Amino acid sequence: MATITLENVSKTYGNRVEAVRGINFEVKDGEFVALLGPSGCGKSSTMRMIAGLEDITKGTIYFDGKPVNMLRARDRKVAMAFETYALYPTLNVYENLAFPLRCAGWDKKKVDEKVQEYAQLLELTRLLDRVPGDLSGGQAQRVGLARALVREPACFLLDEPISHLDTRQRHRMRQIIKRLHLEKGFTMIYVTHDQEEAMAMADQIVVMHEGVIRQIGTPAEIYRDPADDFVAGFVGEPPMNFLDGSPNLCDGVWMYRSGDRQFPLPEWMQAQGDKLPGNLTMGIRPFDVAVGMESSTPHDAAGEVFVAENLCDYSIVAVDMTDVRFHAVTPTSFKVERHQPVYLKFDPIFMRFFDKATGKAILAPRDW
Amino acid sequence: MITLKNVSKRYTTTAFGVRDLNFEIRDQEFLVIYGPSGAGKSTTLKLLAGIIKPTSGDIERDGQSLLDVAPESRDMAMAFENYALYSHMSVGDNLAFPLRAKAMSNNEIDERVQRMARTLQIADLLDRRPGFLSGGQRQRVALGRAIIRPANLYLLDEPIGHLDAKLRHHMRGELKAMSADLNATIVLVTTASREALALGDRIAILREGNLQQIGTPDEVYYQPVNEFVASFVGEPPMSFLSIEPKSDDGKLFFQIQDCDSRLEVLSEMAQHLNGQKEGYRLGVRASEITVSLQKDAGHQVAGEVYIVEHMGYCNIITAKLGKGLVRVITESTVIPKRGEVIWLSLNAENMHLFYQANALQHPSHFRTELNTSGVLTGAR
Repeated sequence: MATITLENVSKTYGNRVEAVRGINFEVKDGEFVALLGPSGCGKSSTMRMIAGLEDITKGTIYFDGKPVNMLRARDRKVAMAFETYALYPTLNVYENLAFPLRCAGWDKKKVDEKVQEYAQLLELTRLLDRVPGDLSGGQAQRVGLARALVREPACFLLDEPISHLDTRQRHRMRQIIKRLHLEKGFTMIYVTHDQEEAMAMADQIVVMHEGVIRQIGTPAEIYRDPADDFVAGFVGEPPMNFLDGSPNLCDGVWMYRSGDRQFPLPEWMQAQGDKLPGNLTMGIRPFDVAVGMESSTPHDAAGEVFVAENLCDYSIVAVDMTDVRFHAVTPTSFKVERHQPVYLKFDPIFMRFFDKATGKAILAPRDW
Repeated sequence: MITLKNVSKRYTTTAFGVRDLNFEIRDQEFLVIYGPSGAGKSTTLKLLAGIIKPTSGDIERDGQSLLDVAPESRDMAMAFENYALYSHMSVGDNLAFPLRAKAMSNNEIDERVQRMARTLQIADLLDRRPGFLSGGQRQRVALGRAIIRPANLYLLDEPIGHLDAKLRHHMRGELKAMSADLNATIVLVTTASREALALGDRIAILREGNLQQIGTPDEVYYQPVNEFVASFVGEPPMSFLSIEPKSDDGKLFFQIQDCDSRLEVLSEMAQHLNGQKEGYRLGVRASEITVSLQKDAGHQVAGEVYIVEHMGYCNIITAKLGKGLVRVITESTVIPKRGEVIWLSLNAENMHLFYQANALQHPSHFRTELNTSGVLTGAR
């Protein structure tokens, strides 16, 4: 097991492409950290530097406080699962798992114990006699994971291992991976572009964009209090709604004005209304937007239904306002037709505000 | 209407693409073909397009066999999974190509291309060539090229599977709106549950080349014919518990395997039992049960918290009941610890009963008051 620390780590390919720009974070011993971001954000480069598969251009990576920049991949006690499983085609699953242990000189009984243990954790017990050619993609992948793990590495790295699976398989793998972490306590770093996977499994999420870290936090922190508009829009399904506008003092109350819509700013912003940036972006999650057929207050925003999607547990209604499309989650019993006029209501408690110029979140004062 | 009659496609003597498919595609419906990889989804689409021919069976349109009609004469537009764009043409020319073949005026072509590019959010890429695009961008061009021209039937093979979550969500809405506005039939292949439920007027679920069930989203969700459909439609997937019917003083109950808990069986459900001891399972969706941190009248079955998944607006808790695992949803603020005991509102009435993986009975009051409160108001 190991604590992994990255200090001002950069990666430049050739002389031009800066994939990673001076990032700092720590993965504590036994922690499950997800590196989350869109393609090209530098998450895979970061992981490959930790694994030792790529040189570190600048900065230092420490394992338990010791720099490992000069250590070869095989000396770092890091296991990595690749998307191509690279199993030995002529050996059955049991032998595939036993092979790395025999190479390390383990005796037969210990080999058998370990193989059985990991076969059980990864739900492979019934497949031990099969050869890789007779396995489905998902099964081969679990064998690949098991083989990477039997030697019990200090740290386990996974790069988008389940993004190509169907819904049911993804849920199953999510549970298996999480269980591995809980039962064996590996330090795990999980790279993904899928916010749902990161949210579901990780203790901490490192959100990356264009080579820099935008936010580090628990899933709840990142969901509830995103540090900027990128994180806010990237995390959450359906994605957060955004509305550009500006603060506006009206009869002693700070209002948010956006086009012909106007509604009061949340209470905590009233005191600092005159210190707010002139241009803001309001963000609110679809789960926190209510839809009504009629307006109950002058602050409701008028729009027209674009489409309604019934997901059986709940519906997602897309509403077109003059300049922007919003999404709202409603009970399935709420039926609307395409092009039907509706009103959207936003509860100030759930509004988040970002400085339009910098994208940074406007933070509530500490005593709120 | 297109009718598939006993359609089979065999690739080798043992490998079937699809087996004995019988269903119809109604005019102007949005049909989603849903299943895991290797289920025969793409094979079905290619059979409809005429790219491959069935080994046996017939495909008819309005009673006329389509088998001898060449793909280009079928009035269909298809978006392939592997994009198949013209690499020497710009994105704009790729989009315009199907329209030029229709002898449209340049002005009209230009206008349609611009409109499509805006819908797909690729307006700034029109001058680029496919080689300089990301996978997600290429996928949108391929989709645009398929849907830009008027056709009777659109065949879309995982058209938005490679997009990031935000874009996928946006495009899902656009496809749904398109199907409402066009007088066309759309058949779409996907492996994502949410996409299938959100888009389909009906969903056809395939497994290993066999049709399992075809029906509206509500039908396949609330009345799945077997455990496969039940576990494949909906998110998180349905949980299953092995049970054994037993009686005590003449009162019938289900004993949950490897677990102390038992569930009372009402006579309505009892009549579906066939006297067997084994092979029964009860299925339940996370949204069909509630959970409490204390035992009370409505929450009588104990589970041990095993895995907690944070979803932002809610948490998915996987609880252990004996050797079985049951997923439940809690409000985002309720985060029980691993090992803690929680109480579930399980009772046989609100669960789906299966015998040897086939459905015997579904909850009768499933539509009335589902537990959506945790999902909808969890963040409030």
